Amino acid sequence: MRILIIEDDPHLLRSLAATLREENYAVDTAEEGEDGLFKARQENYDAIVLDVMLPHLNGWQVLAQLRPAKKTPVLMLTAKDTVQDRVKGLDTGADDYLTKPFDIEELLARLRALIRRAAGQTHPVMEFGSLVIDTAARRVLLSGQEVAVTAREYALLEFLALHRGEVVSRTTLYEHLFDEDDSTLSNLLDVHVSNLRKKLGPDVITTRRGHGYSIA
Amino acid sequence: MIKTFLQSLRWRLQAWHGLLLLLVITASVGPAYHFALENQNQRIDRELGRMERSLIRSLMDVLQGIPVDPANPGARQDRPYLPFQEFVDRLKREPVKVPETIAAQYDGRDPGYAYYSIRDEDEKVILQSANAPSDMHFLPLPKNDVVEESRSVDQRREVARSTPHGLKIVVGRDITPELHEMQGMAWLHLLVGLGVWLLGLIGGWWLSGRAIRPIRSISRTASRIAEGNLEERINITETDSELGQLSGVLNQTFERLHAAFERQRQFTADASHELRTPITILLTETQRILKRERTPEEYREALQTCNDTAQRMRRLVEALLLLARQDNQVAKERFQPSDLAVIARDAVQHLQPLADEKGRRMESALEVAPCLADPEAVAILVTNLVTNALQHGGNVRVLSSVHSGLAVLTVQDDGPGIAESDLPHIFERFYRADQARTGTSGHTGLGLAIAKAIAENHGGSIEAVSNSGQGTRFEVRLPVEQLPG
Repeated sequence: MRILIIEDDPHLLRSLAATLREENYAVDTAEEGEDGLFKARQENYDAIVLDVMLPHLNGWQVLAQLRPAKKTPVLMLTAKDTVQDRVKGLDTGADDYLTKPFDIEELLARLRALIRRAAGQTHPVMEFGSLVIDTAARRVLLSGQEVAVTAREYALLEFLALHRGEVVSRTTLYEHLFDEDDSTLSNLLDVHVSNLRKKLGPDVITTRRGHGYSIA
Repeated sequence: MIKTFLQSLRWRLQAWHGLLLLLVITASVGPAYHFALENQNQRIDRELGRMERSLIRSLMDVLQGIPVDPANPGARQDRPYLPFQEFVDRLKREPVKVPETIAAQYDGRDPGYAYYSIRDEDEKVILQSANAPSDMHFLPLPKNDVVEESRSVDQRREVARSTPHGLKIVVGRDITPELHEMQGMAWLHLLVGLGVWLLGLIGGWWLSGRAIRPIRSISRTASRIAEGNLEERINITETDSELGQLSGVLNQTFERLHAAFERQRQFTADASHELRTPITILLTETQRILKRERTPEEYREALQTCNDTAQRMRRLVEALLLLARQDNQVAKERFQPSDLAVIARDAVQHLQPLADEKGRRMESALEVAPCLADPEAVAILVTNLVTNALQHGGNVRVLSSVHSGLAVLTVQDDGPGIAESDLPHIFERFYRADQARTGTSGHTGLGLAIAKAIAENHGGSIEAVSNSGQGTRFEVRLPVEQLPG
């Protein structure tokens, strides 16, 4: 999952980015509205965390210019907590709204829910025969037994599971699993897929030559 | 219910008004009635006097043998002089008959009938009308001169007269018709008085209602304000009346309360709003770090972030408190005669390291500029202006002088200036022309707001002049105060 954080306070930006990276998200950052808008248009993020009070181009303006071209879920962060502010935020096209100060767990839960909903899934636990992926706990179970997977492997599996039934191209996978700072090795994806097949069985992920991967 | 009536200003006014009005009406109607009564008695007495004279004269005429003109018995005729002593003596000796025309006047018992009685010194009847009552009162004979007395007995009025010649006369008459008339008049007076009193009461009620209406309006407005609607004010229609003045005073009080409340609210809102981001940083960073074991390096880094953030919160809270402390009486108590030049010189010296760090030049041309000020507050004002100039401008010039009765401090920079659209807002709290965030550069977004508050609390003003690209000039003007000595 790849997430863009647009936040002008360097301390907060650094802290949020570190938190999300530790949760296995690929994270891009922007300190200004214009920079953030540029990146949001350029890439297909799974979610955007957008601060309202930004220099030059504020959060509302970024959101207004992003919609309707991009449907990326947007979570607004703001210091204003009146009902009118929240209504305005949701009515301007924000998908969710969080008032500062917030607990990091709430932000993470809201992001998970946003990504799940955007992918058309409603339940945090997804089952594929004997394979169970619990997106809330970030665990993988095979026939009731927990399977140890690395952060990247989990991210790959989760992304395919959220888009179950679709063929996900290698490019899309690269876009959503690695952030702008990752030095992407072209065969890294194949290694992760191969490792997952070893752990979960050869039929879990199917390869469509020339198209990509999918989970049924 | 009774208690509220007694406590109600309107009812109390009405009660006193009614009482006073009753006194006034009684005091004016009572004497008027009494005067009318007196007047009537005097009229009756005069009439009785005339009747008596006419009776005596007719008796004199009879004794002297002068015929009475039946058509005009009272007509004055030339008659020979008869001394009164002789008349009395003859009256006692000779039997005399009262002429018909005169006797007719003293007859019967119809309302208004008259009677007479003439007696000698022993109150032996000489002549008396048939209808004379038994309770007549005769005056004792005087030594010389005539004695006369009028009195009212039951429904009669009679005049008694005695002469030294040994004659006692009483002429009286029944005054029932007059008494009736007076009774009617008394009733009329009572009714009129009562009517006037009632009218006065109604008028008083209306008047007290009118007088109290502004008070009610004031009390209604005040209770709405007490309920929390602090923007409400009493509508003053008559500014010069006592109530108008009271309303004015109350409005001023409400204004000050509202302002104080607004400041408090603004402080709370500002503080909570501006503290949200640093608190978020503290929460995010600590919660992230506590999620798992970290290397000492990571802990150190996180603690550094937390420390920076806490420092920033401290600066913010201090600045907000400083701002909240302005514009009150306590601050004014610390005013003392000061020299703007001295304060500015110290501040500039203090900030020299910051200028050096930023590679900026600072010049000053400071002339003596005496003013009444809290030197600490004015030092903060100067520091804020110079810091602001160093942050956003470039090289800084600080000037002080006295100009047209004002102590003027100027802080001029040669920086990029302030955009015209930002200029009206730069003294607002947390307004940032460059939108730079609070925490990063160490300033709070309150520096100029504090400067303005300090200047205004000293009865002065602050003004910023800027043309984009040509630097900015801040001018502070404070009232001049002669330095002692």
